[in-house]
Amino acid sequence: MAWYQVKASEADTVISSRIRLARNLEGFAFGKRLQNEDKKTIIERVEQALAGADFTRTDIDALTPVAARALVEQHLISPELASAKGPRALFRCEGQSLYLMVCEEDHLRLQCILPGLALRDAYRFAAACDDRLDAALPLAFDEKLGYLTHCPTNLGTGLRASVMLFLPALTDHGMIGTLSHQLSKLGLTIRGIYGEGSAAHGAIYQVSNQVTLGLSEEDILQKLEDAVESIIKTERELRAKPTGEAKLLREDRIHRAEGILRYATRLSSEEFFSLYKDLKQGIAEGLITSISHETLNTLLIAVMPAMLTQNEATPPKTAGERDMLRAAFIKKALEVKENG
Amino acid sequence: MKCEKCNQNEATFFYQTQINGHATSLALCHTCAAEAGLVSNKGGTEPFAFSLGGFPNLLGDIFAPSQHKKRAADAVCPACGATWSDLAAVGKVGCPDCYRTFAEQLSPSIRAMHGNATHTGRAPAKAQAARDKLTRTEALKKELKAAIESENFEKAAALRDEIRALQEKEV
Repeated sequence: MAWYQVKASEADTVISSRIRLARNLEGFAFGKRLQNEDKKTIIERVEQALAGADFTRTDIDALTPVAARALVEQHLISPELASAKGPRALFRCEGQSLYLMVCEEDHLRLQCILPGLALRDAYRFAAACDDRLDAALPLAFDEKLGYLTHCPTNLGTGLRASVMLFLPALTDHGMIGTLSHQLSKLGLTIRGIYGEGSAAHGAIYQVSNQVTLGLSEEDILQKLEDAVESIIKTERELRAKPTGEAKLLREDRIHRAEGILRYATRLSSEEFFSLYKDLKQGIAEGLITSISHETLNTLLIAVMPAMLTQNEATPPKTAGERDMLRAAFIKKALEVKENG
Repeated sequence: MKCEKCNQNEATFFYQTQINGHATSLALCHTCAAEAGLVSNKGGTEPFAFSLGGFPNLLGDIFAPSQHKKRAADAVCPACGATWSDLAAVGKVGCPDCYRTFAEQLSPSIRAMHGNATHTGRAPAKAQAARDKLTRTEALKKELKAAIESENFEKAAALRDEIRALQEKEV
């Protein structure tokens, strides 16, 4: 089962937790200086290092652009790995939600993604895999600078810990800017996903650590966890605030969103994100009980353009056709849930 | 105090911050600070819009070869052949060895990003063993000093042998 289909803790506010470790091999160059032959060698050596563990290899350069894009939409690989040139691979172990990108910006980028708030578990899985890699590969390391990375911003632990959050109330109260300012003082950062720079679609954000050197992994996780817990608390307080007429209006909006998602025949991704925001709030508040957070998380991934079209015999040619396909998919997913 | 970037002119721009509880300071001459976009060329210091999200730009700017300083640009990494100008162009190093080759030049930008910090987290098993050895040696040396001060020479001799053995042991 993929990470987004699993029932999780704090699901009303937290979508997923992710750990990423950047590692590189001594004796190999970075970026454009890394020749294709060397990339192949690195991929082979990683494959040998992981032999015996339950990993499957996917050569990204052998995939169609749509198939590579679908992996990005599931957050299993980065857009950079999908669009890079030359040999590059993904090794995945679904059992532990481990996804190891090889020949991305760094030689190795190990990720663990778990649903809900589960930073510690994700780190535990990633660290165990890191030990396995360390036993077989000469990882580039310096006593003072830590793990050596292509970009100096990732030096030290090479750890980027992030939590994907659903923050409709903070968004509606216009508080994301203030939050961002406060987080930056702590060495943390928040960004909207599904629409960088603009107002975040679906009120979905990612909070992660910015500083990677000088703090231990434990310090980084603790700091992020503390911040996330405080964000969750504020978000929940704000959600409980509306009373009287405001509360009734919101309930109406939530049920309308449910109606449109169940019965519309054409849905753009923008409209979907906007309705997602209302519907997820409805589930969180117990107003909607026939749809689960997991179903909605699954929809969030499944209705993205590449995921939606990758298995179609005749892929939609226009945006309108794709919007019809999206609406039909959502309708079916919600129907099954209702009857089952 | 000389500018930390060109190492020629007197530093007139001082930047200080606290990251990870470490004070970071950056001292640049006016020309280098202006090239990095930290002060206005017209004179006077502009409000310094420094956000965490702005690191890559700052990095690129500080990496950029200084107009009045070419020495650094001549260095070549023996492992990958990258020059300091190559690093400056992309704001990233050419290979792990570049961190040793360009340690001096990289130091100010690394400090601007991470503070005056030393790695404290996980390490590869081999490096961890070296760390453990160092910690153990330092503890034994303390014990040795105490033994000598209390004139417990028998214990001191044993400790001295233990330290010697530990130092000779391959990690």
